[in-house]
Amino acid sequence: MFGITDPAIWVGYLLALGFTLACLVYGLLNWNKGTEEEPDGS
Amino acid sequence: MAVDTGLFVAVTLVYLAVTIALGYLGYRQTKGDDDYMVAGRKVNPVVLALSYGATFISTSAIVGFGGVAAQLGMGMIWLTVLNIGLGIFIAFVIFGKRTRSIGSKLHAVTFPDLMGKCYQSSFMRYAAGIVIVIAMPLYTAAILIGGAQFITSTLQIPYTTALIAFAAVVTLYVVLGGLIAVMYTDALQGGIMLVGMTVLLALTYVQLGGIIEAHTALAAMSDLVPGTLAAGGMTGWASMPAFGSPIWLTLVTTLVLGVGIGVLAQPQLVVRFMTVKDSRSLNRAVLVGGPFILMMTGVAFTVGALTNVYFYRTGGEIALAAATDGNIDTIIPNFINASMPDLFVVIFMLTLLAAAMSTLSSLLHAMGTSLGFDVLRRTGSQGASMKRIQAATVVMIVVSVVLAFVMPGSIIARATAMFMGLCASAFLPAYAHAVYSSRPSLLAAKLSLVAGAAAWFVWTAFVHVKESAALGLSNLLFGVPAVLSAPWQDVDPLVIALPLSMGALLVGCALDRHRVHADQDEPARAA
Repeated sequence: MFGITDPAIWVGYLLALGFTLACLVYGLLNWNKGTEEEPDGS
Repeated sequence: MAVDTGLFVAVTLVYLAVTIALGYLGYRQTKGDDDYMVAGRKVNPVVLALSYGATFISTSAIVGFGGVAAQLGMGMIWLTVLNIGLGIFIAFVIFGKRTRSIGSKLHAVTFPDLMGKCYQSSFMRYAAGIVIVIAMPLYTAAILIGGAQFITSTLQIPYTTALIAFAAVVTLYVVLGGLIAVMYTDALQGGIMLVGMTVLLALTYVQLGGIIEAHTALAAMSDLVPGTLAAGGMTGWASMPAFGSPIWLTLVTTLVLGVGIGVLAQPQLVVRFMTVKDSRSLNRAVLVGGPFILMMTGVAFTVGALTNVYFYRTGGEIALAAATDGNIDTIIPNFINASMPDLFVVIFMLTLLAAAMSTLSSLLHAMGTSLGFDVLRRTGSQGASMKRIQAATVVMIVVSVVLAFVMPGSIIARATAMFMGLCASAFLPAYAHAVYSSRPSLLAAKLSLVAGAAAWFVWTAFVHVKESAALGLSNLLFGVPAVLSAPWQDVDPLVIALPLSMGALLVGCALDRHRVHADQDEPARAA
């Protein structure tokens, strides 16, 4: 994948990108949650 | 050196002027102890994310670990996986929210203060403070070395002058402006780092003919792995080392696990969770923090490995051979100086300067508050003395500068890994227990902290040969550089000490029938 043949490397890249995406999605979904008046349950 | 020194000096002076102006802003906004210690608990989420990221990512990550990637290859990307997954997502969502909430409720202002108040124990406060005061100068010295090396190679000024000037500028705004100044300047520095690393990645791929061509060329270089590295298990720069080999053990246990897990319990990062007013700020910071870290370590490790393609194409040698005096910390600066246009060299210089300054300022603040507030405070006294903390900060920077002069030059990545390993071993189980248990056990925390720190020290001094041989204690007492043979001597102390620390915590919990309440208002805290 992308010129890298060892799965142990490209899986690492996919996971790094996946976690970054998870951070983006989490931040957007919880953008207005968790004010002092409104506990976000976590 | 490729860059015009006059241009760099002019840009650096502008950058320093803005930095000092932000430091002054922090000074003006600091009205009391809460402002100085936790930035008034009202920091903007973007500032938090950039400050956290810029503190997290030092010259160690870019120059030191980028150099390691140049030596050992793209397997370092697994550290980026942990940096984002654990260092941002888990750190903010799982630990950050509880830390913020409890820290605010207990009025904790430092990491040792948080531990002391959660466990209602001055022992925990002193112990955490003392570990920080003893161990953090080693990490700080590594940051100083990285910054000074780069300033020296760029401006061609004496190393001593570079190191002292670098320390003096950062000390000035940390001492005067406290955490507000630190976080404002961190945010500026984080922004510069983001620009610099983005341009670095783009130009590197352009230089090497595109993403796929660059990676394919790197994969094709596996025959050029030096014999000593091949004997240690290295298979190429675009593949993982042989499973279980000494290099695999170093890569996975020291660099990936040691640094990846260690970031969760770093005092200078934990205190940032206490600087925002609500969980919403932490949610928003996650959105900025994840991409920021990807663009820092992900780029540094990828470009680090790809420097092999550049140096092979231009000089017929691998990156390791292009390192000055064999010092892998020089590979990234040498690559940038050799391959990039002048203007971008200046941007990268500023990036590295910003990375070093942001981490250094945060470490200074953490050391100063630990010594001045947590360790030197009289038992029973609740008040902070800003002057005492400022004086303690100056003492700690002097100690760190002295250490920087005596430590070896090629120590940046190793000192970072050691500090993070110690933090995780000593603090992580007790910290997690403190913020997640409604009835934290003091006995368990004491056992965990002592067992984790002791196990880490014993394994470092007597077994992990890369440190034990340098420290010399094992040789002095037993006549051998390490008391255990391979593969144990290649296993990082964290891999042994953290499970022991967790085990000690569980044993302590089972033994302790008299747990303390960390908070009088238990139902509210559990909510």
